Amino acid sequence: MLIDYLKLAVNNLLKRRMRSWLTLIGIFIGIAAVVSLIGLGEGLRIAISSQFNMLGTDTITIQASGVQYGPPGTGVVTPLKQDYVDKIANVDGVDFAIGRLLKTSKVEFNDRATFTVAGSMPSGQHRGDIEERINLKADQGRLLRDGDKYKVLMGSKYDEDDKVFGKLVKVGDTVLIQGKAFEVVGIAKNLGNFLMDYAVIVNEDDMRDIFNDKDTTSIIMVMVKKGADMNNVKEDIEKLLRKERDVKEGEEDFTVELSINAIKTLESTLFAVQLFVYIIAGISIVVGGIGIMNTMYTAVVERTKEIGILKSIGARNEDIFLLFFIESGLLGFSGGLAGAIIGVILAKTLAFIGAMQLGTDLIHADIAWWLITGALSFSFLIGCVAGITPAWRASRLHPVDALRYAK
Amino acid sequence: MKLDYLLYAFENVKHKKMRSMLTVLSILIGIMAIFALVSFGQGLSSYINDLSTQMGTDKIMIYAKGVGAPGTDDTFKILKSEIDFVGKVRGISEITGMYASVVEVEFNKQKKYAYSVGLSQGKEKAMIEEMINIKVDEGRDLKEGDKMKVVLGDNYRIPEKIFKKPVKVGDIIKVNGVDVQVVGFYEPIGNPQDDAQVYFTIEGMETLLPAKKDRYDYAIARVNPDMNPQEVAKRAAEKLRKYKGQKEGQEDFYIQTFEQMIETFTTIFNVLNGVLVLIALISLIVAAVNIANTMYTAVLERTREIGIMKAVGAKNFDIAMMFLFEAGLLGAVGGALGIFMGYLIARLGGFIAANAGYSLLYPIFPAWLIIGCLLFSFFVGALSGLFPAIQASKLKPVDALRYE
Repeated sequence: MLIDYLKLAVNNLLKRRMRSWLTLIGIFIGIAAVVSLIGLGEGLRIAISSQFNMLGTDTITIQASGVQYGPPGTGVVTPLKQDYVDKIANVDGVDFAIGRLLKTSKVEFNDRATFTVAGSMPSGQHRGDIEERINLKADQGRLLRDGDKYKVLMGSKYDEDDKVFGKLVKVGDTVLIQGKAFEVVGIAKNLGNFLMDYAVIVNEDDMRDIFNDKDTTSIIMVMVKKGADMNNVKEDIEKLLRKERDVKEGEEDFTVELSINAIKTLESTLFAVQLFVYIIAGISIVVGGIGIMNTMYTAVVERTKEIGILKSIGARNEDIFLLFFIESGLLGFSGGLAGAIIGVILAKTLAFIGAMQLGTDLIHADIAWWLITGALSFSFLIGCVAGITPAWRASRLHPVDALRYAK
Repeated sequence: MKLDYLLYAFENVKHKKMRSMLTVLSILIGIMAIFALVSFGQGLSSYINDLSTQMGTDKIMIYAKGVGAPGTDDTFKILKSEIDFVGKVRGISEITGMYASVVEVEFNKQKKYAYSVGLSQGKEKAMIEEMINIKVDEGRDLKEGDKMKVVLGDNYRIPEKIFKKPVKVGDIIKVNGVDVQVVGFYEPIGNPQDDAQVYFTIEGMETLLPAKKDRYDYAIARVNPDMNPQEVAKRAAEKLRKYKGQKEGQEDFYIQTFEQMIETFTTIFNVLNGVLVLIALISLIVAAVNIANTMYTAVLERTREIGIMKAVGAKNFDIAMMFLFEAGLLGAVGGALGIFMGYLIARLGGFIAANAGYSLLYPIFPAWLIIGCLLFSFFVGALSGLFPAIQASKLKPVDALRYE
């Protein structure tokens, strides 16, 4: 039965080839635009969240309060102290805690200078822990070790982007950080993280030396033991820091944040931006839907006589309704199918060109299965919705009037 | 003659009401989105233009390089000796260093963090006023010798915005734990960050944060009116680089004219706005396809009519013009309605932005935008009608008359 309807619909669409094509193109452009934009947007969102997500979801980060316009540790009023780290490590449920000092520094090589973030690496057993957590691996040379003095691990970009210094940095080269000579012992593997890939990493003692900073830290990262309650640990750390910094509850000059919450906040901001772009792109699908509706109205008018004949030989209102409804849904669906295919190709091509031109890993298309199925069902739905009123009108035609209707 | 085409087009558009309405609707939506987006873009660029004219084109800025905003990063500073040095560069008539820092502000047992600046109240005050370009709205301005006195951004006066209780002139607030007196408020700037700033005098900031003394976060200088600011900025950068013993490409500071700084910002904004407009244009392409479709159908339906017209002497050109006008009319009507809807949406958007604290985001509606949108929609319509119109004009009268 349904097959008959489908056959009829296909035949009718083929009869008015030009009109069907134009209607298809209308819906197809909209779906292609939305699919490619969502594909690129999702890729960007995943890339950005992964920068924040690299520590995993079972971590707590502590920062001093302030107005943050830059990397952690900038724009704070009362910096965190390094000696909190050991105290926090003793809190129940804490696996280990690491303080990292991050500073803007001048890095010179090949008679050129750049200004970037220098990050510290803790000594001892936690060095391995943190390296494992952030997936820090040496692409060339080696990672830093305890006892390395004035040695530096350069971010991956210094081996990829020769615009920074006019030539690439190699293992064994000497770079100046804040005017002090450091030997490059390794180049890190690309982490896909903008800040980290352009950072330079040195041992904590060297960092304190060159910045003459004995006791502060920019960010404290706390790894929580498996099975411990994150919120309890967070509260215990807050209690401890309130005592350390002599502030009352509600007047904290520091923030203790579960990494999972930070990621959620970030994702919701990104989502708002994405949604705005998608809505503007989605307008074209609505316009495509209007095109379908228009085509269907025209089809009803053109086939008034046919409807009259069908009704006079026994077709019921539902039959006529279904006839046009299915035709309309089919228009939407086939437009959506073509649109989804072109959209995926477009997204991949644009991502490829963008990544080549800008040399960043942030741009890549992520085509999820829900995107394809969503686009197909949405275009089918749009077709169906657009067909409702024309199909309704067709189904309500009086057989006698319809038969008498002259073009 | 032209009027006849138009009348004919009107009659036909009216005749096929439902179809015309849907076609108009599809072009309306696209024009509406584009109109609203462009009006916001124009609003912001007019805001920036006003800003740069008021600030004057004779100013150059000196910044220390760093990853964050000035004052949030302590690695690089501009020393007093360097500022004095730049002040002596030919073409620079006056210069002043400024402090910036993030501070903790406490009022009525509530603590907040804010961006704070320390500005000279001496002879350079006129230059600074041109730069910050806002006036004290309540109370008084800072003056030379004020130490533990501050002027606050507008948002401190508004209850629940920063503090639950509004701050008043004469109130004592704690900045980094030190009591300071509020002597005035600035008028609103239009974004939540700037409207939450705390303004000190240079001396006040030095008393509050003694470590900052003579280590400035940025500096502003005025160029002699008969000199080219860009050249002076370039010369100053070169001299300062040599003075600091840095090689080219190794400077730990930027010197830029105000115009250059604003240009960067405007470029980024225009690119973003342009991308949005392009995305909105897609819907207009779809609308054009819809118009083409409507016109093809119209040609088909009126085949006999075309045949009769040709039989009584209509030339190919006349037939083509008839359909072109009809398509253009569909576009223009959609455009006019789209402009109207876009206007309403932009107004609503501006209202929402102002309520959210971003009153610098407002739409403007220049005449060229309205006329441009109308013409554009007419041409989109006419262009989509081109092929159907040509097809109609080429019909053979005999075939057309015989058509059923």
